[in-house]
Amino acid sequence: MHDGSGLIAVQNLSKQFGSVTAVHNLSFTVSPGSVTGFLGPNGAGKTTTLRMLLGLVKPTSGTATINGRPFHQLGQPGRVVGAVLEAQGFHPARSARNHLRVYASAIGVPDAQADQVIGLVGLGTAADRKVGGFSLGMKQRLALATALLGDPQVLVLDEPANGLDPEGIAWLRTFLQSYARMGRTVLISSHLLAEVEQTVDQVVIISRGQTMFHGPLDRLRQSQQRRVLVQPSDINALASALRAEGVQAIEQLPDGRLAVSGVDSRQVADSALKAGVSIYGIQEEQVDLERLFFQLTSGQYAGQAPAPYQQQQQGGWA
Amino acid sequence: MGNLVQAELRKTTTTGLWWGLLIPTAVLALGWGLATGLLGQFFVDFASSSDVDEVSDFLGVTPDQWKISLFGMARAINISTIFPMIFGAMAISGEINRRTITTTFLTAQSRMHSMLAKMLVYVLWGAIYGLAIMLFLGIGVVLTSESGQLPDAGGWAMLTLVCVLSSILMTMFGVGVGALIPNVAGTIVLLLLYFLVIENVLHLVLAYLEVPAVIGFLPNGSINGLTGSVAVDLFLSSAGVVPTEIEDVLRAIAGAGGALDWWWSGLVFLAWSGIVFAGGWAVTQSKDIT
Repeated sequence: MHDGSGLIAVQNLSKQFGSVTAVHNLSFTVSPGSVTGFLGPNGAGKTTTLRMLLGLVKPTSGTATINGRPFHQLGQPGRVVGAVLEAQGFHPARSARNHLRVYASAIGVPDAQADQVIGLVGLGTAADRKVGGFSLGMKQRLALATALLGDPQVLVLDEPANGLDPEGIAWLRTFLQSYARMGRTVLISSHLLAEVEQTVDQVVIISRGQTMFHGPLDRLRQSQQRRVLVQPSDINALASALRAEGVQAIEQLPDGRLAVSGVDSRQVADSALKAGVSIYGIQEEQVDLERLFFQLTSGQYAGQAPAPYQQQQQGGWA
Repeated sequence: MGNLVQAELRKTTTTGLWWGLLIPTAVLALGWGLATGLLGQFFVDFASSSDVDEVSDFLGVTPDQWKISLFGMARAINISTIFPMIFGAMAISGEINRRTITTTFLTAQSRMHSMLAKMLVYVLWGAIYGLAIMLFLGIGVVLTSESGQLPDAGGWAMLTLVCVLSSILMTMFGVGVGALIPNVAGTIVLLLLYFLVIENVLHLVLAYLEVPAVIGFLPNGSINGLTGSVAVDLFLSSAGVVPTEIEDVLRAIAGAGGALDWWWSGLVFLAWSGIVFAGGWAVTQSKDIT
């Protein structure tokens, strides 16, 4: 049987679908007591990884374990791990309550538990309606209620914020954080860092099926650089002056300003004064996490910029 | 395992499919029953006319005592059990189609456990469908048949037994095919085509090639043999001495041409269901649920 540690361990996990490598040698661990974000752009291999963890997809190589065991050795998996994988796994003609009762009996919990979780996710008044008439957000809530039926130690959610309104997202955030604070494990995937930034404590960022960053969100925050945006009277003079002082990360922005990284605004102002350049405007900017996330994951399926609009040659009268 | 069986049972009772398919099943069985009586009446009137006295001499009893309703009832069971087979076929293919299979597998000890639980529940449903078929078929036959053409109490009991068995086996076969071909439309089209067209053509070919014995080993041939052989046996038991050629004709009428004894037929079809289920299990076991 499993060790009850609440630990998720993914080791050298790979999955090949025909000629497509969906996941390539992925390794990370998720500990109880915190919410871990599993991030990556669409097609990075997040869903495939989660499905391998849950025994739905067979890995080509490597292992994925929960509580030290592969999914199919958990015994009563519904009581160990609850999962929200897609908001579509419902029979449209079955009511929400009946859907939950079906899986309550599969897991072996009393029907009262079905009524409890349906109230917990805020679907109490819609319990006897057929799921076919539910909005995407309601289906997400029902999927979460299904995951909670067995009161599991580990919660795995694939893009749970899809279709939720801002109120729903705020509710989910509070819910997941308090769930983790009870000493349980929460793994939540998303393709948007901003979406889960306020929810997660730890992040695993993957791109092209490989791990790009794995650690506390705070460490990711600290690694980000500040930069100074400055509008000088003479761009070239200021850039030369800064370079002479050893500042290399200088970039000219399309709006005519300079973006200088790794220094503070005082240093830039002092350099400008020495070089005899006037400053019309200066501003310090924190590179946001989203940009960092984008840098970590960029490249895969990068779309191209639209072709510039070709103005038609017009026969003029002028 | 008991939990999973309860879950599977709830799955079937919380949607309308069970009665959605039970209604046409009952209507078909009732219709066949009524038609059986009417056709039987017509046949007896015809046979009672002096021209066909030779036939009655063969059979050793007067035409109004022929239990010809048995043949219609055997055919009716064969046709009506198509519906429980389709019901069974939706068990796994329907879950894959609706994507509920994900949660089903997430809440079961193993895929094998959930498939076995499903099979048990569908055996129960097969029996329920079988009883319903017999009930409505019986009503239809009794309404339109002369009492002389109806089987005796033992005959009714035997027919009910093979009807329920046949329905259970057809449902199990459906479950297996639905697992093997995880696509609702594909499964149903294939099953209907096979049971209503392909194998019937095959029977004609085999009869033409003078190897009718092979028919009894085919899926449709064996399941028809289960009910058809019982019908012929019951008919013959009250018809006196019958020459072999006539017996063969009677078997063909009952839909049991080339078939083995009823219990052998049942075992052959059970083997088919087992093969299909094993194939379906192998496919489901290794399938990536993406």
